Amino acid sequence: MIDEHLLDDLALQNGLLEVDAKLKLAVGIGAILIGVFSPSPVAPLVIAASMAVCTIVFAGIPARVYAALLAIPVTFVSMSIIVILFMTGGGEPLWDVHVLGYTFTLTTDSANLAVLLLSRTLGGMCSLFFIALTTPMVDIFSVMNRLRLPDEFVDLSMLIYRNIFVLIGESIAIHNAQVMRNGYSTFRRSIDAFAMLAGMLFVRAWEKGEEMLVAMDARCYDGKFQMIEEERRISATGIATATGYLCACAGLAVLFRSFRIF
Amino acid sequence: MHIMEGFLPSPWWQIWFIVAIPFLVLGLYQLKKLFAEKRETIPLLAVAGAFVFVLSSLKLPSVNGSCSHPTGTGLSAILFGPFITSILALIVLLYQAIFLAHGGLTTLGANVFSMGISGPIVAYALYVAGKKASLNTFVNVFIAATVADLFTYVVTAGQLALAFPAPAAQGGLLGSFSAFLVIFALTQVPLAIIEGVIIALVFKYIIDVRPDILVKLNVLTQNTVNRIREAAS
Repeated sequence: MIDEHLLDDLALQNGLLEVDAKLKLAVGIGAILIGVFSPSPVAPLVIAASMAVCTIVFAGIPARVYAALLAIPVTFVSMSIIVILFMTGGGEPLWDVHVLGYTFTLTTDSANLAVLLLSRTLGGMCSLFFIALTTPMVDIFSVMNRLRLPDEFVDLSMLIYRNIFVLIGESIAIHNAQVMRNGYSTFRRSIDAFAMLAGMLFVRAWEKGEEMLVAMDARCYDGKFQMIEEERRISATGIATATGYLCACAGLAVLFRSFRIF
Repeated sequence: MHIMEGFLPSPWWQIWFIVAIPFLVLGLYQLKKLFAEKRETIPLLAVAGAFVFVLSSLKLPSVNGSCSHPTGTGLSAILFGPFITSILALIVLLYQAIFLAHGGLTTLGANVFSMGISGPIVAYALYVAGKKASLNTFVNVFIAATVADLFTYVVTAGQLALAFPAPAAQGGLLGSFSAFLVIFALTQVPLAIIEGVIIALVFKYIIDVRPDILVKLNVLTQNTVNRIREAAS
């Protein structure tokens, strides 16, 4: 039912946990930006490969889990790529398709654009997985605090984070109870069961919120959570490796800027 | 429907961030005011945000085999108003990117605009209008949630069409807009209808168990609740 792995669970036991969160975020976001700005598919593909290796080998994320994650964007990407292949044009025609009396033409420019987008999405997703799988949310909160984001926003994020796990537990319990009573045996029933689950989840969540209010009042909450931050020293080699990596990727993007497949 | 990381080229991903920012600032301003006036809303908003996240990570009963998730922001807009929903949606979308690998960081602006701003505003406006016209509460909620979902998907198609317009011979911007609309309709139209039905039923269950919450949030008046409960019994 909740079919996705919560990446945070994996992030909390990954091999790069001790590396400073700011450094990991900088590498991930830097790679995403280089990928988005790269005019050719070379740099994003290299980023995708290096990020995947880094996440699987150094962070120790099981390759099977990683492959399952890569399947998530497939539906969206495949549907959008079809439109882009046949609706954008320019360049030499490569292939004609006749559907219901209409002719759609695949051209070199649209094929290049599709390849570029595929590689950018792949590079971007791999960089995002790198952040998601190596940096636990708790570390990101302290970075958010350092960046002086509004306190209300950071506090709300932390409370939401904490409650997500409570509610996931509740929903799994309700779902199991419903399955045992044939709640999802037909389509009609599953609609009703799903709505009942969501409704009860809301009521449970609300009651948790009311309880939390009492608990927070009892502990003199005054609108700001105090966080204990672990100081992790950023190592010089870490900074050097990160800078070197990002420079190499940016260099590839510039070097291969006019590279086209078709 | 989330636009995946890396899919929107420059300058479009920057543009959608800029478009989304005024709404988020307004939402943050309302949030600050709410926190200062009624401190007791903080934990409640927190559970609401968590609820939206968990709801959007549950798999809907599917019709055509595609894996579909509700957006959940329609419900939040009806309960808390569109601007606070935009802040909740921003946090939820960030978590979806980082926890579930749905969406992305550069496309966050575009996704917040389609799912957290335009959909909720439509849901809220329709719900308020329906309430004024004293429409049946469940029909009203169904319409608001369904249309908000459909509108979200139309906006997403528009965002993609703007970034990737077709050449003039194939209808230009409108050509690629309609192409994206048609191809996403396969999954999004059934999804919107199912989500509408489910959100309306969720309302029924909340009214059954804790109608006082809805009264407190000014979603329903006590009279409406009494009338609905009488009709049910």
